[in-house]
Amino acid sequence: MQVWDGISDARLTFSASEIGLERPQEGMARLTENLNLQRGLLRHLEKLPEVQLIDKTKVQSIIRDTEERGGWPLVHLDNGRVLRARLLVGADGFNSPVRSYAQISSFGWSYDTQGIVATMVHPPRGAFQGPNTTCYQRFLPTGPIAFLPLSPTVSSLVWSTRPHIASALTASDPDVFASMINAAFRLPELSLRYLYNRIIEAQANGTPLTHAEIQQEILWREQSHSIDHNSAYASAVIQPNADVGVPAADSESLPPLVTSLQPGTVATFPLRFNHTDSYIGEGQGSRTVLVGDAAHTVHPLAGQGLNLGIADVECLARCIDDALQKGGDVGSYTALLPYAQERYLENHTLMSAIDKLHKLYTSTLEPVVWARSVGVEVLNEFDSIKAALMMTAGARDHKLNNAAAGWNMAAKGVEGLAAGVNAAKLLSGGIGGMIGMGL
Amino acid sequence: MGLTNVVRAMHRQVHSAVSRGTVNAAEIAHFSRLSSQWWDEQGEFAFLHKMNPVRVQFIREKLLEVAREEHEGEDALSSKGLHGLDVLDVGCGGGLLSESLARLGANTLGIDASESNVKIAKLHASADPKLERLSYVNTAAESLLESPKRYDVVCSMEVLEHVDNPASFLSTCAELVKPGGHLFLSTISRSPLAYFLTIFLAEDLLRKVSRGTHTYSKFIKPTELVAFFQKHHSSASADPQYLEHATLSRPWISPQASSVSPPRKEAEVRGLIYHPLQSKWLLAPRDAWGATDCNYIFWTRKPSE
Repeated sequence: MQVWDGISDARLTFSASEIGLERPQEGMARLTENLNLQRGLLRHLEKLPEVQLIDKTKVQSIIRDTEERGGWPLVHLDNGRVLRARLLVGADGFNSPVRSYAQISSFGWSYDTQGIVATMVHPPRGAFQGPNTTCYQRFLPTGPIAFLPLSPTVSSLVWSTRPHIASALTASDPDVFASMINAAFRLPELSLRYLYNRIIEAQANGTPLTHAEIQQEILWREQSHSIDHNSAYASAVIQPNADVGVPAADSESLPPLVTSLQPGTVATFPLRFNHTDSYIGEGQGSRTVLVGDAAHTVHPLAGQGLNLGIADVECLARCIDDALQKGGDVGSYTALLPYAQERYLENHTLMSAIDKLHKLYTSTLEPVVWARSVGVEVLNEFDSIKAALMMTAGARDHKLNNAAAGWNMAAKGVEGLAAGVNAAKLLSGGIGGMIGMGL
Repeated sequence: MGLTNVVRAMHRQVHSAVSRGTVNAAEIAHFSRLSSQWWDEQGEFAFLHKMNPVRVQFIREKLLEVAREEHEGEDALSSKGLHGLDVLDVGCGGGLLSESLARLGANTLGIDASESNVKIAKLHASADPKLERLSYVNTAAESLLESPKRYDVVCSMEVLEHVDNPASFLSTCAELVKPGGHLFLSTISRSPLAYFLTIFLAEDLLRKVSRGTHTYSKFIKPTELVAFFQKHHSSASADPQYLEHATLSRPWISPQASSVSPPRKEAEVRGLIYHPLQSKWLLAPRDAWGATDCNYIFWTRKPSE
């Protein structure tokens, strides 16, 4: 994984071999298309005879049963069926109807940012390059753009940007959008701003830019920044056989050049920060529990939304199993409380970190850029801190022996310290030498 | 001096009990007043709601352990747990424990001397379609002795410290157990720590529990409970207290064993400790030092004929 600053280019690299995983060859994280995830889950459900799946049916309303009948939630379906729920799990997304039934309030704000997702097609990596298994993310002042590999020739895009830029990009020709994706990973921020404005102006004039025109604009920007056309940072001229022969020296620092987008895969959604006050319904909304986006919505910059949801579900399943072992009522507050106790603070910590990261990186203020860049470059030298970061950011196995992983990290830290001492010696030697020369 | 007085007072109370019943009218009135709050999980009975899973865990694990030892190698039997057993819950209150036992497959009867408690328990259970193995009766334990029905498991949780005549109450519970059956009790020990936590802190200072819920002199030490089941109350016994219900025809726990640590296969005492930060109850390990100084749970087994 490679992450860099859109203004200063300060870069952070993470790799599976660095973070003390048991099987680094399996990578530190996996990217799965939603469709495959859903298919896998549906196949699993088919094997469970206890689970009844009701499809092609909508929930019309959720009403509370009478007090004498315990006030259980009654889910009215549009086919006339009424389901009386011992426990109603709200896994129904940001606009959760279960949450409104349970009258659980939430706090948050919208980011004035739209997320664009798309599936990108590109040529395979050349013989002298590594396989397409590296994530790339560039933090632009308008929001981060991320390249997430799926297969040797297909990757996923998550581009967070200002709403007016997002609508201009998605309204333009798919080839123009693909060129802009390439440019957004490569061109300096100043040129990107110019390109956004060109696209918006052209659309306002009713003459949207063609693919040839945008390539011409990009070429001109590259020349003005004196980017060599053999460099990996050049995207204006896509050479037909760029993937053969010796690749550009910096080709591993950037994702492959996108040639097209898979039709029908472009979608946008508004980004927000949202966290409910509670995960468990009480009083009039008892026997409800919220998981995933129904409970919390985060900025996708760290790709944690799904991970948080999966961790919620894993924990809730454990709580329910535990309650059943002890004859508990799985809809009761007592049975659900351990779920909220375990997840609320953990989610909140990660969500706040993601929120702060977003605020830090959307700033163009020079001291802020300087501080974050120095921070990142120093951080990049400390394997143990990076490992700790990765451990919390998803590349973590619940069943992994935490103590063992901890010791690995500690050992790495000591190694890092030794390396640091060596570096300091070199540095002081160098400074000494410089002073000597100055004198 | 205070403690010995209290002990003496308790003995007086035990010996002065004339009637057969052990139900204390004032206690019943107290809990009847609170009965509507039984199922408010964050209200008056929040502590009991949180304690319930730990009690059930102890009961289930103990029964599984005994089954495993008796039917070595027979997996089918040992995994049954409570399934199919006849269980009596004496002093069921709102039915917290009864419902859990019924959900684990036990044919459960909950009894309580308070009519309003039983009403609340019945009403709450009626909303749950999974509780068809559960029934409630508004009665005192003593009246069940008239019927020949005996139970595989008799539980009485947080009741012993509210009855008038603990010795008679224990004999009644013991009598209701089938030979080879199990008796589970949980109560509060009579120690300065217990006074501080359950009365001073929970009732007087934090007001988490209604004042007057607990009476210090009624608390019973685990050693006293063990000692009770070590005694041999034959009809020749000179103690007039036990003449009426000379039900322990033989001791349940070897009389020569220490009452601090009874033989593992005959009885077990485990502390129940409230963890205020996690706001949950923990089952203390066996023989943990000082763990049984406040809330504890007790198990013993009636000898087979």
